[in-house]
Amino acid sequence: MKSNSKSSRLDYLLAAPTLIWLTVFFLVPYFIVLIYGFLTPDIFDVKFEFNLDAYRQLFDGTYFRPFVLSVKLAITTTLLCILIAYPVAYLIARASDKIKNTLLILIIIPFWTNLIIRIFSWRIFLSYNGVLNDILMRIGLISQPLEIMRTDLAVIMVMVYVYLPYMILPLYSVLEKLDFTLLHAAMDLGANEVKSFFKITLPLSLEGIFAGVLLVFIPALGTYLIPQLVGDQRSLYVGQVITYKIKNIPRNWPMASALSFGLLILVAIFLLLGYILLKKSKVRGVA
Amino acid sequence: MEEIRIVNISKDFDGFMAVDGVDLTIKPGELFSFLGPSGCGKTTLLRMIAGFEMPLKGKIFIGDQDIVDLPPYKRPVNTIFQNYSLFPHMTVWDNVAFGLKVRKTPLPEIKDRVSEMLDLVKMGDQHSKYPDQISGGQKQRVAIARALINNPKVLLLDEPLAALDLKLRQHMLIELMNIHDAVGITFIYVTHDQSEAMSISDRVAVMNRGKIVQEGPPDDIYERPSSIFSAYFIGETNLITGEVIGIEDEYVQLKCPMGDDEYFEIDSTFHFRPEIGSQITVSLRPEKIAISSNKPKIADDMNIVKGVIEDILYLGSHTQYIVRVGKHNIRVFSQHKRVYFDDKALDWEEEVWLFWHDTDSWLINELPDESRMPAEGKTYIPKFKKANASAGEQI
Repeated sequence: MKSNSKSSRLDYLLAAPTLIWLTVFFLVPYFIVLIYGFLTPDIFDVKFEFNLDAYRQLFDGTYFRPFVLSVKLAITTTLLCILIAYPVAYLIARASDKIKNTLLILIIIPFWTNLIIRIFSWRIFLSYNGVLNDILMRIGLISQPLEIMRTDLAVIMVMVYVYLPYMILPLYSVLEKLDFTLLHAAMDLGANEVKSFFKITLPLSLEGIFAGVLLVFIPALGTYLIPQLVGDQRSLYVGQVITYKIKNIPRNWPMASALSFGLLILVAIFLLLGYILLKKSKVRGVA
Repeated sequence: MEEIRIVNISKDFDGFMAVDGVDLTIKPGELFSFLGPSGCGKTTLLRMIAGFEMPLKGKIFIGDQDIVDLPPYKRPVNTIFQNYSLFPHMTVWDNVAFGLKVRKTPLPEIKDRVSEMLDLVKMGDQHSKYPDQISGGQKQRVAIARALINNPKVLLLDEPLAALDLKLRQHMLIELMNIHDAVGITFIYVTHDQSEAMSISDRVAVMNRGKIVQEGPPDDIYERPSSIFSAYFIGETNLITGEVIGIEDEYVQLKCPMGDDEYFEIDSTFHFRPEIGSQITVSLRPEKIAISSNKPKIADDMNIVKGVIEDILYLGSHTQYIVRVGKHNIRVFSQHKRVYFDDKALDWEEEVWLFWHDTDSWLINELPDESRMPAEGKTYIPKFKKANASAGEQI
């Protein structure tokens, strides 16, 4: 027992730097954000006077539209990512080892380029005189260039492009561990390919889908950069609104803080929902 | 009840013939085993019957129906997989009900059938557990129930006991036989374990290199092996080569070199007529040989050779002696029965007499060749010089 407690003390010691880091740079800032929400806005900064205006506005419907837009975008992005990533992850998981590694590297390569640069290349690709319109006109599918840039469609396209690897990788890791003889067993027992998929493969990969949803949905909910660079500036997402509250003068730090907190609560609610759904589906480990 | 007819079936993996022109008929209700070392093609053959492998050529009939082109889910067969392949996200009950559910059987009927099947395999009280909460033997039972609930015409078992420990394996073997008796359908059993195959099967096909080497009831294969491979793979044996020097009505005489220009003679009954002067192999099962330090009085139809005890292995139920007779190391199993008055404990380096009945030597028209020996399953291989070399010395 003694040696046990000693080792656990060592564990704490080893974890200490991380714990301190997270406390100082994560928890404390959140606390500051929480407090700022209850202060009074000033032109550049805040006055340290208690004020409930920001939270009142958060709940009275003023910012309803950006929240709805963000949730819609996050859900659309996540669903599209699942639909596209699943077959890709499945193929990679079933490929031979050599091809598997090549494909995985191909999935990871985009991470080597800065996100902003990748988004700008999408702007070139999607713009009125851009590559996509050029190709479509040359092959005669359209006679007039399409207005894709600065639309919600452009936002969704770039969102799916950016977040797809975050869905593929966790899905791949569960599908790779999946015992494919289980599919043989299902077919042996009379289930055709479609039924085997829905009764065996899908339930056994739900954990991967859940992990992918976490990695895609949460950042997608607070996304700022992509709608800012390729989106329609008449429809603002929460991330953009928060930025404007800080960037535009007069600044409104309390409102930005309250909106950030609203976003945090929203994420927490969706996480909880997802967790309950996963528990309810009674899925057990693959191994 | 329908018979299974496998007609000239072949399967290759990148040019390697895993199954090579196999013909086989399995009788209705039979418990039939494919036995062979790993890589002999037995599992591939089974998987072709199940529908997981497409044969290169050939046909598989169940009754009059050729099932080769049917997908697995349309074949009237079910499989017990080597690691059971129970669905980890379903309870025992849901696992067993799976086959009926996908066929959209009405729920009351499913309930009846599942509880009937779980009772058959004695798992009725475990129905709400998940596969990771039950033991290996219990998983095995669930796998059997899950397969049999579909009323297959044939049950395929792919090394079903390989993952169990020895005691449980012996127990499940008996249980499998009982289940086979209870349901009465054809079982096809794949194993590399000759004792499993011998104890459970009505008939066995010994396989090697994609071909069936010998086919028949276990005792037939054990007592009358047609090749060195089956003599060696089923049970343990001594292989002794010699030259045929005489053929009488009842027996052949063999002259077996011991090295150093010395010979001993073996008489054997014969089931084929070898030519005088030809080289031939005798298979001699270790338990058929008697061992004694006193020279026994023997009848005309007995063989006797003298040797020196090289090694003694006490194995509980019996002792294995390795006796040096010239260049041969002959293995003898002796049970611990004190029926002879002159019995005394034998010791290392002691001179002993080995004797056995003529009918217990079995002739095989082949010469031992290391490359034809089974690849696995045996720890001790008697020391043979190359058959050709010894033949050369003699001629």
